[in-house]
Amino acid sequence: MPVVLLAGTKKALFVFRSDDSRQRWTLEGPHLEGWSVYHAILDPRDGALHACTNHEVYGATVHRSRDLGKTWDRAEKLGLPEESELKLERTWHVEPGHVDEPGTLWLGAAPGVLFRSDDGGATWEVVEGLLTHPTRDRWFPGAGGMCCHSIQLDRADVSRLHIGISRAGVFRTDDAGEHWTPANSGTAADFLPDPYPELGQCVHKLLRCADSPRLWQQNHCGVYRSDDGGDSWERLDGNGLPSGFGFALALHPRDPDTAFVVPIEGAENRVTSDGRLGVYRTSDGGETWATSMEGLPERAWTGVLREGMASDTFDPLGLYLGAQSGSVFASADEGRTWDEIASQLPPVLSVEVGAWS
Amino acid sequence: MVVVVLPPVLAAEAGGQSRFEVEAATIRDALGALPVVDRLFDEQGSLRTLVNVYVDGVDVRESGGLAGPLSGTETIRLVGAIAGG
Repeated sequence: MPVVLLAGTKKALFVFRSDDSRQRWTLEGPHLEGWSVYHAILDPRDGALHACTNHEVYGATVHRSRDLGKTWDRAEKLGLPEESELKLERTWHVEPGHVDEPGTLWLGAAPGVLFRSDDGGATWEVVEGLLTHPTRDRWFPGAGGMCCHSIQLDRADVSRLHIGISRAGVFRTDDAGEHWTPANSGTAADFLPDPYPELGQCVHKLLRCADSPRLWQQNHCGVYRSDDGGDSWERLDGNGLPSGFGFALALHPRDPDTAFVVPIEGAENRVTSDGRLGVYRTSDGGETWATSMEGLPERAWTGVLREGMASDTFDPLGLYLGAQSGSVFASADEGRTWDEIASQLPPVLSVEVGAWS
Repeated sequence: MVVVVLPPVLAAEAGGQSRFEVEAATIRDALGALPVVDRLFDEQGSLRTLVNVYVDGVDVRESGGLAGPLSGTETIRLVGAIAGG
């Protein structure tokens, strides 16, 4: 089965192709030249590519390709209503909708907004329940703006979603977006006078296990796991992780106890911890962490951003890593060994993998 | 006809076409006739801060703005400001 790896960079999208052995990769692109591709996906339901595209001069939008990157069209009239007195700043994450809603996609953006498309990404409507959330005046931007960057669907319940906004925290809806409840109990906000507020946490990346209600998050203030739908969180860093700070997070599609993170030195020095590029793995739900780095550079002071790591669904699991140094690494053995499949790209903002025949 | 010349990123968005001939009474009308108008103006209708518009070499921000009338012989060049990395 053909495998497609999408690497969004500061200046274009690059597309890698392989087969399910994932041993050799061919590079196509650049596509969308000049655009910063914050995130791109291959929608497994129809094979369309969707890319969150931002430009310093020409603003924020979403591009779509229905021929694997040969041609692209741009979303129509993407923006915020005048009465909100807000303007769209950046698009951050696009997520395919539920399998029972084949035309639906979700789009996270700044300033702390969510859009829904029901026509395959041609047009988008802002989710009013989040736009007008009664706590919005208590949300603040992080270093990258007030970005809605994580969108996680409950595969068993089409009406339930979790989102992550920096820095407002994690929110959950049980009615497809009409109402949103903060879900941050137990997650720290060390930069606030009250270190455990209802909201205002700086979640960096939120993921939900494929066939489990378990959630994981890499936060500004640690790595966390929730086993009750986000009602409470347990902090997990310290046992083998050199730093609780980081952005990237990946999960194992068949083992909810396994997760991967890339520790960063800290909030004030955002380079990979200990002067090396290390992917750390837990296989016991976050009790212990260890790294295996064969194939990754042993001396590295680079950055891996929130969309900088992805996992596939094959067995053995494939992992993918994009660094701000312009390198892309791939592992076809669950992170034990890595190959640098590209270097000298523009700074890599995102990697995502999909299979499509 | 007024000629409008697009920079490379916008030309790619317009299917590779960098030169357009449009009939327009004002500068805003001329820009509104382009297939990339949403990249020039934000959702509130304001010209994006880093988009520069030159009419026969003169920056419209220094010559009366987008409501300025056109005679039909002008060349409008769109230029992204020097910004970013």
